Amino acid sequence: MKTDINTKVGLFIPCYIDQFYPQVGVATLELLMKLGLDVGYPLKQTCCGQPLANAGSENDAKAIYLNFVDNFNEFDYVVSPSGSCVYHVREHYNILEQTEKVIKIRQNTFELCEFIFDILQIEDLRINFPFKVGIHQSCHGLRGLKLGVSSELVAPHFSKVHRLLEKAEGIELINLDREDECCGFGGTFSIFEPDVSVKMGIERIRDHKRNGAEVITATDMSCLMHLEGIARRNNEKVQFKHIAEILNQCRL
Amino acid sequence: MDKDQIIQMIRKNKPSLQPLPERLTKPEDNTDLKTIFCNNLKLVGAEVIRIDNEALVSSFISSHFPGAVDFSQPENWIGYQSANSKDKSEKLNTIILKGQFGVAENGAIWLDETNFPHRIIPFIAQNLVIKLSGENLVAGMDEAYHKIDITKTGFGVFISGPSKTADIEQVLVFGAHGPLKHTVLLID
Amino acid sequence: MMTHAEKAGIFLADVERADWHDQTLWVIRKKRDKAVGCVPEWEALRENASKIKEHVLSNLDTYLLQFEAEAVKNGVQVHWAVDAESFNRKIYSIINSYNAQKVVKSKSMLTEECGMNPFLEAKGIEVVDTDLGERIIQFRKEPPSHIVMPAIHLKREEIGELFHLKLGTEKGISDPQYLTAAAREHLRKKFLSAEVAITGVNFAVAETGTVVVCTNEGNADMGVQSAPVQIHCMGIEKILPRIEDLGIFIRLLARNATGQPISSYTSHYQKPKPGGEMHIIIVDNKRSEHLGNGAYLNSLKCIRCGACMNTCPVYRRSGGHSYNYVIPGPIGSILSPIYGVNKYKDLPFASSLCGSCANVCPVKIDIHRQLYSWRQEISEKKLLSASKRYGLKLAGKILANSRYYNFFGKKMRWALNHLPRKVLYHQINVWGIGREFPVAPAKSFNQWYRENHKKS
Repeated sequence: MKTDINTKVGLFIPCYIDQFYPQVGVATLELLMKLGLDVGYPLKQTCCGQPLANAGSENDAKAIYLNFVDNFNEFDYVVSPSGSCVYHVREHYNILEQTEKVIKIRQNTFELCEFIFDILQIEDLRINFPFKVGIHQSCHGLRGLKLGVSSELVAPHFSKVHRLLEKAEGIELINLDREDECCGFGGTFSIFEPDVSVKMGIERIRDHKRNGAEVITATDMSCLMHLEGIARRNNEKVQFKHIAEILNQCRL
Repeated sequence: MDKDQIIQMIRKNKPSLQPLPERLTKPEDNTDLKTIFCNNLKLVGAEVIRIDNEALVSSFISSHFPGAVDFSQPENWIGYQSANSKDKSEKLNTIILKGQFGVAENGAIWLDETNFPHRIIPFIAQNLVIKLSGENLVAGMDEAYHKIDITKTGFGVFISGPSKTADIEQVLVFGAHGPLKHTVLLID
Repeated sequence: MMTHAEKAGIFLADVERADWHDQTLWVIRKKRDKAVGCVPEWEALRENASKIKEHVLSNLDTYLLQFEAEAVKNGVQVHWAVDAESFNRKIYSIINSYNAQKVVKSKSMLTEECGMNPFLEAKGIEVVDTDLGERIIQFRKEPPSHIVMPAIHLKREEIGELFHLKLGTEKGISDPQYLTAAAREHLRKKFLSAEVAITGVNFAVAETGTVVVCTNEGNADMGVQSAPVQIHCMGIEKILPRIEDLGIFIRLLARNATGQPISSYTSHYQKPKPGGEMHIIIVDNKRSEHLGNGAYLNSLKCIRCGACMNTCPVYRRSGGHSYNYVIPGPIGSILSPIYGVNKYKDLPFASSLCGSCANVCPVKIDIHRQLYSWRQEISEKKLLSASKRYGLKLAGKILANSRYYNFFGKKMRWALNHLPRKVLYHQINVWGIGREFPVAPAKSFNQWYRENHKKS
């Protein structure tokens, strides 16, 4: 375990989790505290800036980036229940002046699963979750943060998310027809290309359902928000749970 | 002049020099090349017939491909060499060619201008039969390209399987424009 | 011109066809996976190929001049064309110098890019596309929808109907074997009477002046070896330094494109045939300009395998014709803005940035990063619509300030929970076209934390 009693962890809650899915934030906080960490939540945090940057307005997002850096620079690690936000900080905060603070934040911001797996080096959280679970491998986490080995690559199959879930009591991890196809959210893509976006989403849901999923989980609530919205519109009966909510079922 | 304009623009814009990477070294592979070659030939839609030795080849050809024009015999080149020989070569049904070497990883066989009277010959026939010695196999394309000296010929081709297309609904059809059938006589 | 999003909407309206298109291309992606999985050193090959191409681009002038010198030594005539217009004029001039009017052409995206066919046809030259897929779309007078499989968007019945009209095949017969045989017979006549054969170039080897063309059908060779005059057309970026580099690229190309270990024919054109003439036209058309653009120059590494299209979930569900550019899909979306950033400004946004394309690219083009960079450029050039620009600026101000953010967040959640459905899901609300809004909680996480957790 690469932390000690003095390690300070800053909790970054993405804007859409803050606004729409606070229970995911609560689960993340509870989980990190159960893991014995000293967790701070800076109250003036807002957003990582990705929605604007992906829409082409990187420059308009700079002030958001600086707010992030201001809020989090005192922590040893920044942990967030979001692969895409973390990818954005690590990859795209390169447009800020690379001060010591900025470099430190870019090097020490982690998505929740990779933090538990790589930094805390824990694989078995002793979770009880007796459900058939489909893992939606959110793209930025999978290909951006390399949370797993994506299916295009010729390399041994591996997934940190899979490893954290597979030992859960009662769980059945289903196999999908298309193991890592994008859900179609893509931030502003969901409204710039709504037809393709929704079509991609409904295909993901059907893949999970065809293969027996009762619960669909992911590292990114944005994917799940999009999929859930489509599922509800189409009366597809399936539950959506962020990975933090499942991992928080641990008995630590 | 277009050439000068292009070269000047490239010189102005090209990025700083990046080095060529080291040649990729493949681990030594002692697996049976003939088996791999035969498996890949079947994969690409070719028929492969193994013949025990060189002596049996001509009788095999006479009995299995009667009427075939055997271009591995240079005396059969007469009438097929000129640019005007299209009318004659257009009527070719089954032909025999001799391949120089085969590539195990993909069932390809190398031939060049020394193997046929006219460059259209390997493509215009309806059925192509290639004789190849089983000793003349390399494992992969890296070795293959180190074996060839392209400057010694005017045209060379790797042929792997019959002509094919899947342009209609991805349904595989043999014999798009080149030979419909491709047979390899692999001589042990 | 309709945008990609608008065309995609039309494409998706035919649900059955769209699903069939998506599934067909997905199968090709899986064939590719199977083939590349047989090469344990695949990732090392990609890295090697990427580095070779990066080296070439940094030394391109030297290699092009070397290529020309070697080709000329081999008795080949080499021409240069600075742009599409110059290319069309030169190729016409070459064809005309032989008083030729019958031309056959094997696949060349470059000639599509330059609009060569209509140019030559206007001058009374018959240009017959001999790749089966290309011939089909030529008959239909439409552009290819994929760079490797031009007719992938068509069903066999449509092709059957087309061949009945154009080739006199039996009405109602759509068996691919039967239709291909009809095309074989028809095109054989064209090959044998061709006066000039035009091909593209897969690879041009500087060390030896060799032109390499890969086909499955054998159509390049049927044309080239039959016609007295052969013309090979290449973009400046098709150069490889040495013959041995083909050992890497030929291993990558077919596996990645179609899942085959190699194409049926890998032809190496070195010298003109006895009694024949051989020409090469080297085309720039903005490539050399692009070489200086650090963010995008990697797109010049492209070997036109088409794998990015097969893997792209957006391409599979919108079809090549939705892109309005000769090369569709991910690579098309980063190449097209070179030829008109305003004309093609919607294409870099026709992507969810999933990154699958970059992972299949045999030369490791960072397509997803280039899509992102083009978006920034399009935004900086003020090419986004006014509503998008001002909307984003406003969002930027709100999201940078926690007080505004929390204030607006609260208001938004209230609106979601209290506004009538008719208002919330009015057609201007794009999110609501196919999805429900999330159920808005009474309190945000921030509020919950302040009330329950904040250390006093």
